[in-house]
Amino acid sequence: MKNYLKATRVALALVIFFPLIVYFCDFTHLTPGFLHHWAEIQLVPVVLAGSIGILISLLLLTFLFGRIYCSVICPLGILQDGIARFTQRGRKKQKSKKKRWYHYYKPYNWMRYSLLAICVIFLIFGIFTQSDYSTTLLLYLDPYSNFGRISANIFRPLVIEGNNLINWVALQMNNYHFYQLTIHTVTLASFLIALIALLLVGILALLHGRLFCNSICPVGSFLGLISRISLFRVRIDESKCTKCGVCSLACKSECIDSKENKIDYSRCVCCFNCLDRCKTKALHYDFAFPVTATSASRRTFLATSTAMLASIPLISTLAQDKKTVDYTKLTPITPPGSRNVKRFVEKCTACHLCITHCPMQVLKPAGFNFGFAYAFKPHLAYSTEHFCNYECTICSKICPNDAITEILPEEKKVTQIGIAQFERSRCVVFTNEHSCGACSEHCPVQAVKMEPYKDGLTIPHVYESLCIGCGGCESICPVRPVKAINILANAVHQTAEKPQEEEEKAVTKDLDFGF
Amino acid sequence: MKRREFFKASVAIGVSALTFNKLSAALSSNEIAVEATPDMVAVMGGAPAEMLQRALKEMGGIGKYVKKGQSVVIKPNIGWDKKPDFAANTNPDLVNELVKQCLRAGAKKVTVFDHTCDNWQKCYANSGIKAAVEAAGGNIVPANDESYYKTTTLPQGVKLKSTKIHQALLDADVWFNVPVLKHHGGANMSIAMKNYMGIVWDRPYFHNNDLQQCIADICTWQKKPVLNIVDAYRCMRKNGPQGRSVSDTSLLKAVIISPNIVAVDTAAVGLFNQVEKMDINVVEHIANGEKLKLGTQKLDTLKVKRIKL
Repeated sequence: MKNYLKATRVALALVIFFPLIVYFCDFTHLTPGFLHHWAEIQLVPVVLAGSIGILISLLLLTFLFGRIYCSVICPLGILQDGIARFTQRGRKKQKSKKKRWYHYYKPYNWMRYSLLAICVIFLIFGIFTQSDYSTTLLLYLDPYSNFGRISANIFRPLVIEGNNLINWVALQMNNYHFYQLTIHTVTLASFLIALIALLLVGILALLHGRLFCNSICPVGSFLGLISRISLFRVRIDESKCTKCGVCSLACKSECIDSKENKIDYSRCVCCFNCLDRCKTKALHYDFAFPVTATSASRRTFLATSTAMLASIPLISTLAQDKKTVDYTKLTPITPPGSRNVKRFVEKCTACHLCITHCPMQVLKPAGFNFGFAYAFKPHLAYSTEHFCNYECTICSKICPNDAITEILPEEKKVTQIGIAQFERSRCVVFTNEHSCGACSEHCPVQAVKMEPYKDGLTIPHVYESLCIGCGGCESICPVRPVKAINILANAVHQTAEKPQEEEEKAVTKDLDFGF
Repeated sequence: MKRREFFKASVAIGVSALTFNKLSAALSSNEIAVEATPDMVAVMGGAPAEMLQRALKEMGGIGKYVKKGQSVVIKPNIGWDKKPDFAANTNPDLVNELVKQCLRAGAKKVTVFDHTCDNWQKCYANSGIKAAVEAAGGNIVPANDESYYKTTTLPQGVKLKSTKIHQALLDADVWFNVPVLKHHGGANMSIAMKNYMGIVWDRPYFHNNDLQQCIADICTWQKKPVLNIVDAYRCMRKNGPQGRSVSDTSLLKAVIISPNIVAVDTAAVGLFNQVEKMDINVVEHIANGEKLKLGTQKLDTLKVKRIKL
């Protein structure tokens, strides 16, 4: 029997996975803009962005067909399948099955439900108490965000360096069709966190298939709660089953207990790999109603649920305690549209999609310098050639979590994310008594004006009410190592005054050469 | 004309040119100007391409500057992510016409670039220059990364002794400096000399080490542009170099061209003064350039041709 279900599953997975990874790795900004919708159907972004419609659809999908989400929509799940498949090829050739194929094991319920519980409780308490830590654990566990970080910090740099190599070869032949790109958006910390995630997920996938999804991933655990009672499911026809155990060797979720003829539906990701492996055709994917959960699994479920509830007070006090972070000391500059640092910290899970699409490479993942809650989340890091483009709103358009809400260019042009602070004693006009004016030159709103100083020289003056904090001035200021003009973040974004428009001065009719 | 005849004619003209300058001009064919070419041509009152055509014709035709098989670089100002109406960048129609003329004169290839201040792809696209160059058959090339630049020495420089210049320009046989006429907050005016800052990588060095002197220093680079073509079709009269809106600009409908960079900047400041006051003495890099013998501010010593269309 041809396994059409599996073929469909693989085809759909590729339709989700490839556009998404291409969108993450694209440095040319030529990929079509609608691809960011692929990120908007990921469960954690859906929850954080409050997309009720998509959430209900995903829950309904799981209730009807099981954890299809994990096999078809989740890019990290598909990545694991890819890694596992890579090594399966070698395995198939070797004769001794027992050693190399998957085996049934009992679920690590305590672990998976505790992690899920902590994530959920922090999230709920975060919403009510406005804790900075509402998504901190989720950031490290969310499969989509991990996939994003792996793509942005490992795959994308590889693609860019490949391009640079091609460009170098082309340049030797005087061909300017490619262009060099120096990566400024990957920090050591962001690279390491992505590498750790890739290694962890990769090794688990190699050894135990979907072990990550079934013991660590909060999305998997959450959907598992629903897929226990899903209507369509893989069933074993006991009259045909010979208990040969081949199906459990093929199951990458390691959830088929062939001795007991039982399938743990909370862990089954509907990959359908088992279906055609069965020689007696005892496995079927079909409608199964009414649903009966096994008593054993019900017991563990109840136990873990109780544990979850019991841990609520503890976690809530933890969340309460750490709430008071003083943003006035060291505040990150957050993208226009994020409204305020607090909201941004709560909603962002550091998928780095905005970082990969910032044409100015000004968005950079933070380290621990803005506190533990802000780690790996993007902030605007101004340096030579890197500042926030006046006309650009791309990060606000593509953020799947709604951590950066969509704003129009007109709004962005008056959104004050910070204010320029001019330090006259460091300015080259003051120290060297030469013209400069680089900061004024780069200011898109004329908030930095050159005003008379002495001997025909002009020196910058900042009109704070006009400044939007784009960092044009800071990025170009030639003073090193500490610049003479720096942006101080607004913890809560403000609205700047609109630059005044003047009437176009009509040119006098008797205009001549003038020389 | 056969090759041998051509050589004979050329030698004859060459010899006579050495002794009888005016006679040689008279002997030569119609395509070569009958009278000696002026030092500067200014044209007013037309569309950008039209004014450029006329100005180049008065300067002896493009063939005088671009020879067959040469590789040409055109360096406009494409510094800012602004639409052409802001006059923050060189007029795209002007660039288009110049690319066409160079290719018609037999240039092997015409390359255009600028080290932009805003994101280079946005600048190239929104200035209209990318489309204009490509429509004319030229290449617009990136200048966004240090790897495109090679260190070059400037023996005559006072403050700037060496800097990294774009490879495309280093490889070119001839180049045109094609700035737009602008007010500038730092250098006071941005015209032909200031436009040189777009050929180098490290601009903060300029700002850190006497901007006005460094601008003059970079202009001492041995490979001089064959012509400086100042686009003053629309000029930015204040809030330069970016401008806040179109109301910061004035429509002057002028083009000034000259191989003499100091003279062309001096003339452009004169033109500018009719719409906004600007003391040429505060545009120090012009005087600094004169000190370095890059040209003269005394326009009355030059043969200047002024044409109104």
